[in-house]
Amino acid sequence: MPPRLRLQPGHLVPASPSNTPYICQHCRHASLANATTPAPPLAHTNTTASAPAIARYPPTQPPSYKPPEFRKSQLHRQYQSLLRSSPLLLLFQHNNLKATEWTAIRRELTIALRKVDDDLAAQGEQAASSVANGAKLQIIQTGIFASALKVVDFWTPNFSPNAAAPQGLSAQAYRSATQNAKTQKHTPHRQSSLDPLLSGPLALLTLPEVSPLHLKAALTILAPSKAFPAPKRRVNPAYHEKPVQDGLAKLMLLGARVEGRIFDMEGVRGVGAIPGGLAGLRAQLVGMLGGVGAGVTGALEGMGRGLWVTMEGRRLQMEEEEKKGEAGDKQG
Amino acid sequence: MITRYITNVSTAFSPFNARSGKTVRNFLALLPPNARSTMKIDVKMFGQKEAEKPASLGLKFKDGKEMDVDLEKMKLRDIQTEVDRHSRTLRRQEELAG
Repeated sequence: MPPRLRLQPGHLVPASPSNTPYICQHCRHASLANATTPAPPLAHTNTTASAPAIARYPPTQPPSYKPPEFRKSQLHRQYQSLLRSSPLLLLFQHNNLKATEWTAIRRELTIALRKVDDDLAAQGEQAASSVANGAKLQIIQTGIFASALKVVDFWTPNFSPNAAAPQGLSAQAYRSATQNAKTQKHTPHRQSSLDPLLSGPLALLTLPEVSPLHLKAALTILAPSKAFPAPKRRVNPAYHEKPVQDGLAKLMLLGARVEGRIFDMEGVRGVGAIPGGLAGLRAQLVGMLGGVGAGVTGALEGMGRGLWVTMEGRRLQMEEEEKKGEAGDKQG
Repeated sequence: MITRYITNVSTAFSPFNARSGKTVRNFLALLPPNARSTMKIDVKMFGQKEAEKPASLGLKFKDGKEMDVDLEKMKLRDIQTEVDRHSRTLRRQEELAG
């Protein structure tokens, strides 16, 4: 049976004088940030009470109540900037770690990195830079990260002055990145990619600069192996507490991205094993180049010296023969 | 997935293999947070060069049944079905035994 009183919601007079719905300004949908009509000033609301309410958003796209920092667009933007700004990324899989385990692991990691920083500062190198403060171990949204990685790797933004500011989040960027990824996938320098790694629950350790010493410290904590043994119980008892060890058992190192190049577990350990860090690497390079120079001089000199030795030998031989001949003449 | 009756997981795989690596990694992600206290988990990972090396995933159950998963054919959902099928029989036996 239909209701006797045919009331339509539109005909009802609201109890409060203002019939504009309350909209939380922080929770508006990101894509509508510019499209919404500005709220009318408070003085007008009473006079225009009978006028139909201004729609602040299209009915098909109601405002999002997701916290802004976890929006997909925001995460995408954040991952792009992360990929562009940090040259050293380590990729981990985390298998159901608990919050306490995460905090324990992060604490150990920060302590280890800070110790390296302090050691370097004590040696007088890199006093200003602090890798420990810039390093971050965070869980990522895998799909959004994969998309951001594609945009960073395969999209070249157009920075010409008359064009609009390039947006890594735009559909145009996405389209050109996807297209480039398809065409460039089989070229040799693109053969190794992070694609197979990007599935499942992932965590990312980002370091603000490529520093083998810090990488080594991080690897000894997060993925100890024969080359990078974990700190002993006597040296670092906190590391051997249950939450840390339980968490580390569930954390798997998958690979790394060092200055745009992809490394597997062994590759990362190779980077971490560079003795003396970057300074050591420079010393090695200088030594190698010096060695090459010495080799070249040696090789060039060798020819001349060989010739000289032969000629000298021949001269001595001839002199001896001459002496013998003279002696023979005297006797004869 | 019912993981209560698994006692042993041993696997060797390369995460750079798009097929078997993904399957094994997702399987490991399904194990509960306290998995290491209830079962023995042995993970061996190959590098990028050995991505094509055949991966293996072996499971052992409480009744002693050993399950060798064929990662060429089976994907995560299939493995889940197989594990659940055996685990359900074990659960029923346990319930009947009281």
